Amino acid sequence: MQPVDRDQELVGIRAKLKELLVSNLNIEGITPDQIKDDDPLFGEGLGLDSLDAVEIVVILQRHFGVEVKDMEKGREIFRSVNTLANYVYDTKQGQK
Amino acid sequence: MNIAGIGVVGTTGRGVASLEAALNRGWTAPGLVDIRGSAGERLPVYAVPPEVLSDKTVLAKARRADRFTRMSVLAAWDALQDSGLAASVDRTRLGVIVATALGPHATTFGFLDGILDFGDAAVSPTAFSHSVHNAAASYIAMTLDVRGPTLTLTHFDFAFHEAVSLARTWLAANRCDAVLVGAVDELGSVMQFVCGRMLRPAADGRIKPFDFSVKPESVPGEGSVFFMLTRDNAGAAYGRLGAVSRDHSAVRSTGQSVQLLDACGLAKNETAYRTALMPGTLTAGYAPLFGSVMTGSAFHAAIAALMLKRQYRYAVPVAENPHGLDLCLETGAAVVDQVFCTRLDCAGRRGTLHLSAVR
Repeated sequence: MQPVDRDQELVGIRAKLKELLVSNLNIEGITPDQIKDDDPLFGEGLGLDSLDAVEIVVILQRHFGVEVKDMEKGREIFRSVNTLANYVYDTKQGQK
Repeated sequence: MNIAGIGVVGTTGRGVASLEAALNRGWTAPGLVDIRGSAGERLPVYAVPPEVLSDKTVLAKARRADRFTRMSVLAAWDALQDSGLAASVDRTRLGVIVATALGPHATTFGFLDGILDFGDAAVSPTAFSHSVHNAAASYIAMTLDVRGPTLTLTHFDFAFHEAVSLARTWLAANRCDAVLVGAVDELGSVMQFVCGRMLRPAADGRIKPFDFSVKPESVPGEGSVFFMLTRDNAGAAYGRLGAVSRDHSAVRSTGQSVQLLDACGLAKNETAYRTALMPGTLTAGYAPLFGSVMTGSAFHAAIAALMLKRQYRYAVPVAENPHGLDLCLETGAAVVDQVFCTRLDCAGRRGTLHLSAVR
C-alpha cells in the first residue's frame, strides 16, 4: 500500500509547492497549474535565480518543516518541482 | 524650481490623466476592507487597485518588489516620461528623493512576523531586503538608470515638504540638473488596524477637509506622486514650485490664489487651522478623492500643478462647510496665479508648499 500512499502524498506536495512558488516568489503571468512537474526551476525553465533558491529553502522550512543544509545536494533537490517534492516526502518519512 | 513632469499612482488609477478625470468626476465612495484581527469590523479605504501596479514593462526588473516599491517606481517613471526629458537628461546629474511617512511598513511587519512565527533561521531574505526604507529609491535608480544622488527621507509629518526643500538645495548647489522628488505611503494591514482603532473612520466614507473637528474623520489612503523638478530656467510644463514655508512668512498671497488643505485625519486643532488659512484665497481640499494620507501634500501639489497649467479650478469633492470658508465650488476655466498646499500636523504645526504659474 505504501507506493499508492506515496504517490497520493506527492501529488499534494507538488500542488502545494507550485502554489507557494508562484505566490512567494512573485512569479507573474503564470499560474501554479502551468508549472510542469519536471520543468527546470532555474535558468531557462521558470527563470529563478540564486536569491530564489534561498527563498525556496525558507519555503521548505516554513511550510514542510524540512531543512536543506547541504547546498551541494541542493542543486539536485532544486532541479524541478518533482525533485523538490521527492525530497520533502523522503525527508519527512525519515523524520518519522 | 520648475515642475517639468508629474507621475501619479493612486486609488484613482495611474497617470496625471487619471487624477484629472477623478477631479472632474467628483467624489467616489471608498472601498471597504475587513480590519485584520477584528470581529468582522470593516474600514473604508482608498486603496490602489492591483491592476494599476502590474506594468510588466516598467517593472520587468522588479519582480520581487512590494506594493510600496511598485507604486514608487511607476510614479517616478511616469514623471520622467511626462517631462519629455527622458531621452535628454544626463542620468549622472539626475537625483532621486523618496519621501515617506511610514515607509514599506507592510513588508517590515511581514519580516518581523516571519521571525515571530518561524524563528530567525526561516526569515524570507526578500522580505528582509525590501523592509529597509531605501529599497524603493534603489529600485527607481535601477529602473531609470539614475546615477546621481539617491535618498529616502522619512518624516512622520512633513516628509514631502522636507524632500522638496532638499531638492531645491541640490539644484541650487549644482549637484543635479534635475531631481525626481516624490512621496509614497502604503496602506498595509497594520495601518488599517491602527486607523480603525485609533482614528475616527468616516462612517459615511466622506472625508470632510473643512470640518476642523477635534476628532476629524478619516478614510485611509495610499499612493505615490512624483515630480520631475528642474531649475527655473529649464522651461516649465506645469508651473513653479517655490518656497516651502512652515509659518507662511516666505509666501504672500497675490493675484488669484487657491489654498489646498490636507486632511490626514490627525490634525485636530480648529485654532491652528484658522490661523493657517490665508486671507483673500479660495479654499479647497481634495483628500476625499485620494484618502487620508500623511504625504497628501504631494497629491495636492500635483492637483495645484494641474490648476496652474490648465488655468482651471476643480470643485471640492466634499463641500461640507461648518466654518463658512470661501470654498472652491465650481469646476471650470479660471485664472489661477498661485496655489498654496497647506498641511497641519497633530500638534498644529503647519507646512505650506507654494506653487505659481509661469507667465
